[in-house]
Amino acid sequence: MTALLDAGRPDTTGDGKAAVPRTRHRGTLRDRFPGLALPALIWYAVFMIGPVVAMFVIAFLSWPGMLTTPTPAGLDNFARVFSDETFWTATANSAIQIVVGLPIMIGLAFLLAFYVVQKPRGHRVLRYLLFIPALISAPATAMVFYAMLNPDGLVNGFLRPLGLEGNEWLADPTTALGAIIAVELWSGIGYSAVLIASRLDGVETEIVQAARLDGANDWRLAWRMYWPIARDFIGVVAMLQFLSMLFNSAQTVLLLTQGGPENATTTLAYLIYRKAFVETDLGYSQAVGVVLFVIGLLGMWAIRRTLRATH
Amino acid sequence: MAQRAAVARRLPLRDRIGSITSGTLAWIYAALLVIPFYYFIVSSFKTNEEIFESPLAWPTTFDLSNFTTAIQQADLGLAVANSALTTVAALVLTLLLALPASFALARARGRAGKIVESVFALGFLIPSFAALFPTFLLAAALGLFHTRTFVVFLLPATALPLSIVILTSFMRTIPRELEEAASMDGASSLQVLRQVYLPICVPGIATVLLLNFLSFWNAYLYPLILIGPDTAQRTIQVALPTLKVDAGTDYGVLMAGTLFTLLPVYLVYTVLQRQMQRALLSGAVKG
Repeated sequence: MTALLDAGRPDTTGDGKAAVPRTRHRGTLRDRFPGLALPALIWYAVFMIGPVVAMFVIAFLSWPGMLTTPTPAGLDNFARVFSDETFWTATANSAIQIVVGLPIMIGLAFLLAFYVVQKPRGHRVLRYLLFIPALISAPATAMVFYAMLNPDGLVNGFLRPLGLEGNEWLADPTTALGAIIAVELWSGIGYSAVLIASRLDGVETEIVQAARLDGANDWRLAWRMYWPIARDFIGVVAMLQFLSMLFNSAQTVLLLTQGGPENATTTLAYLIYRKAFVETDLGYSQAVGVVLFVIGLLGMWAIRRTLRATH
Repeated sequence: MAQRAAVARRLPLRDRIGSITSGTLAWIYAALLVIPFYYFIVSSFKTNEEIFESPLAWPTTFDLSNFTTAIQQADLGLAVANSALTTVAALVLTLLLALPASFALARARGRAGKIVESVFALGFLIPSFAALFPTFLLAAALGLFHTRTFVVFLLPATALPLSIVILTSFMRTIPRELEEAASMDGASSLQVLRQVYLPICVPGIATVLLLNFLSFWNAYLYPLILIGPDTAQRTIQVALPTLKVDAGTDYGVLMAGTLFTLLPVYLVYTVLQRQMQRALLSGAVKG
């Protein structure tokens, strides 16, 4: 996203006038188009932009199965999507996931980052550990949590000696979505904290010491000094995690619950997957894709507004 | 520490809670990271009964039979080979596409260069996950459905925006005079790239390689959908979840398989810890 900002800045290296006549021809050609970027651009257009454009087209087609011929459907798919109860359940689940999960993730990650940059005893170990979730693939994480959350697993093994009732965490409609969010938090907090810490490391120690001398304690230091300084960067981290929750969490759902029990963990991203690859209702699936794309843009805009730099 | 604790004692309750919270939170989270790790590592040496009886107990024997069962049952050896092949081929292709592109963008002075650069910079907005089905159609249209080849083609495309943004910012730091001196000597663009830019960009290339190694090795949904369940072609990430059976999963075997999947990543992380951390940081900062 820094690149996004950079791309618009005025060119300060332009020195076209200084070019000697002999090289001018090559110079102007290069000015017109960076030819060596062409292969990458074409590759990107074919494999990434193409499918997204196709998504927008398929959303307006009636295509009830791979082997049938698609026919134009106008807005029918969207009408079907918006009148489908499952879609609204999925929307509610995604909303809960984001509204509950994201602030907790970012808030805790910030506090962790703040603690790590104070260099307390053991901060090196802590930094090493915080990277762990960023290295593990979605299937490996899911398998570990599957083993921990099963009725005979580690979580219930902890609770039973305490006299608490165990639970089938992933099979109980009241806890399944919470379990998915917990997996997301487990893997997201560490990486976000490391990212935020990399920004907080840049805060000058003089300012911090001066504030300490003025009697500022940790709590005030964290929220009144570090938070405003890192605010716009935390916004960037929040956007990354927002997109990851909105889209990639479908992998966790697929691996752990397949959207069940009774749609309790069907999120919008998982609904796209299920409609496309399980029920092969392709128009419906891609219509939800378009909706999710719009939600993604709106969410990023909202995060940017909430966490933009205040100074 | 003691002094700070003393100061903390005199503060109002809300502030005192504040100073204790972040430290406590940090170590609770650290414990939550370590316990699952410990649990699944010891579990991979146990039977189901032992896991259920005493989940955190040290294994009685370091019997490797769970590992051999996991490797046989899910064909993990072949899956690792497939993952390695796919990852390496995709990494090479990524560099072949991203290096010339970054070189061109770093030197471009016109408006076109800026437009191309913003196309890549906006890449993170592409909801490639939502477009999984059209990607699947593309594979079918190219006649590459259910092959590793298509994933080798696709993965670099997912990695191009970030790779190009990182490499371009690296190449921008190289003074133009160096390149002009080489051009005067009659070197072609590609020679300038190879002889002047590449040696200076080694740290940037290392960052891009490590970052993409992680995301290619760990890729799950694309290989699942595009390569499919064929054991001869499937990657390790697709093979691993097949050890989870709806009725009667052998958790020891499942955890042994998981450990086996993570080994290559941990090997690389242990050897290249600093570089890897830097790569992961620049991955988001630049993205």
